[in-house]
Amino acid sequence: MLVVVLLAFTLFPAFWMLSSAFDAQAGAGGQTLLPREWSLENFAYVLTEGGFDVFLRNSALVALVTVFASAVLALLASVAVARFRFRFRTAMLLMILIVQMVPLEALVIPLFVQVRDLQLLNTLLGLMVVYVALSLPFGIWMLRGFVAAVPVELEEAAYIDGASWGRMFRSVLLPLVMPGLVATSVFSFITAWNEFIFAMTLLGGATENYTVAIGLKQFFGEHSNEWGYIMAASTIITVPVMIFFVIVQRRLSSGLVAGAVKG
Amino acid sequence: MTSTIQAPPVAQGAPSPRAAGGAGRRRSPIARLRPWLLLAPALAVLAVLLLWPLVRVVLFSLQDYGLREIVSGEPNWIGLANYAEVFTDPTLWSVVLPNTFGFAILAVAATVALGTGVAVLMASLGPFWRTVVGSAIMVAWAMPAVTGTYVWVWIFDADRGIFNQTLQALGLQDEPVNWFTNRWSFYAIVLLNVVHHGFPFVAVTVLAGLLGVPKEMLEAAEMDGAGPWRRFFKVIVPNLRQVFSVVIILSTIWDFKVFAQVYLMPGGAGSNREALNLGVWSYVESFGQNRYGFGSAIAVLLTLLLLVITVVYVRTMLKEEEL
Repeated sequence: MLVVVLLAFTLFPAFWMLSSAFDAQAGAGGQTLLPREWSLENFAYVLTEGGFDVFLRNSALVALVTVFASAVLALLASVAVARFRFRFRTAMLLMILIVQMVPLEALVIPLFVQVRDLQLLNTLLGLMVVYVALSLPFGIWMLRGFVAAVPVELEEAAYIDGASWGRMFRSVLLPLVMPGLVATSVFSFITAWNEFIFAMTLLGGATENYTVAIGLKQFFGEHSNEWGYIMAASTIITVPVMIFFVIVQRRLSSGLVAGAVKG
Repeated sequence: MTSTIQAPPVAQGAPSPRAAGGAGRRRSPIARLRPWLLLAPALAVLAVLLLWPLVRVVLFSLQDYGLREIVSGEPNWIGLANYAEVFTDPTLWSVVLPNTFGFAILAVAATVALGTGVAVLMASLGPFWRTVVGSAIMVAWAMPAVTGTYVWVWIFDADRGIFNQTLQALGLQDEPVNWFTNRWSFYAIVLLNVVHHGFPFVAVTVLAGLLGVPKEMLEAAEMDGAGPWRRFFKVIVPNLRQVFSVVIILSTIWDFKVFAQVYLMPGGAGSNREALNLGVWSYVESFGQNRYGFGSAIAVLLTLLLLVITVVYVRTMLKEEEL
């Protein structure tokens, strides 16, 4: 019983989003739980006239570049903080932890000015650069745990076998932290895919460069049954995130479990 | 996220000189520089895109920074006048702070309570139902904040939303109600949205902790006659003290700065002044009124409040773990 109530509460928004997306009459009044008339009309509209094909491409590009760049930078940095002792190490970890907590509302004003000065306003490149910075602290902090969990003995064995540091990194460390790298990448993908405030501020003037998160606002006040379009577009945005969660669910939770249980 | 909680002690630092990327006594300059070489790219990005902007927002908050200054690039220093204006604005005391604090307190309490309840429920379920519930909460978790917010707005839509429609069908109200104009119902919807999106993280994290509590301890407590509540508060809670402090502090940080969930609701982008919180107020003053200096002062205030919470967070972590 408790489980049923919980499932209903948990799943209703997603269910209602899908139901409205497939209902050509959504928003026309007299809603029913299931579509009165099943139709792909809403999807067809948002992907053609609605411009969502372009927004999807923009988002995919921004997210992939963000994932790749922040994974490389975060991995290198996390090896440094997890494996080496050096001056200012603790101070730096604290700094990374603290900048991670800075609210985006505080950063969006100076970064808007900065991106504007670099002539990158309304470009995808400007957004990518900002997203790499935003996902980096969390990436370093998370990967640090995974790198630290790799037994040092394995690395020592590689050295004894005559491997160089670079060789050891590629053949020993990298494969072993792969699950962590996947989990971190999923997080930064989702951050870039979902991010709203910077996309709205930095791309405001260029509809053709909109990401999916801000592309939704195109459907307000256009048409009488706009809710069908908004829910269809929302479904298109949500599906890749859901697929990602499903694929990495086990890794994601084992990553979370690995961290939490040891505490 | 939770990997931040604890790293295995064995790998802390460099137990052997070889693992430290060189050899103890014969440490070459390259080996000594290696951590800094590895860190340099990340540090450069963080310095230019996070630290410098953080300094800059403080500098902006001390200027009358508007459209003219943004174009000319000439600073117009006005000292603490922006802060004086923020603190004498009745909006801060009657609307913004109550909305920010009141919401954060309620949202954190509800998120942690529901998340913990679900974790305890999941721990008691068989593998099949645990997977079903686990997948369902993943759906709620994975739903992007933007689309999730639009779905809640659609559910509570004044004219055709299913909530109003259901209330009318049940005869509980005669006319559709616009739930977004009233401050209380506005934030009730935000609360529903934020708790729905936030409890899965708590549930998954606490569940992981629960499964890590040694069965023997629980059995021993049961043999000693401890009921479920007693077992929960005397065995599970002390064991998960750190898990709880992390989820509570992280939720507090997140719920203090809800933005899209407020901004995207009808009236949330500044037209309904009753709905402003610190983050939205800062944003609409900056980008709506072109008062970047005033908006920066509000942003600095928000950052300082979060900094206090962060310091608590860092201290919690430092107590348990050597960085």
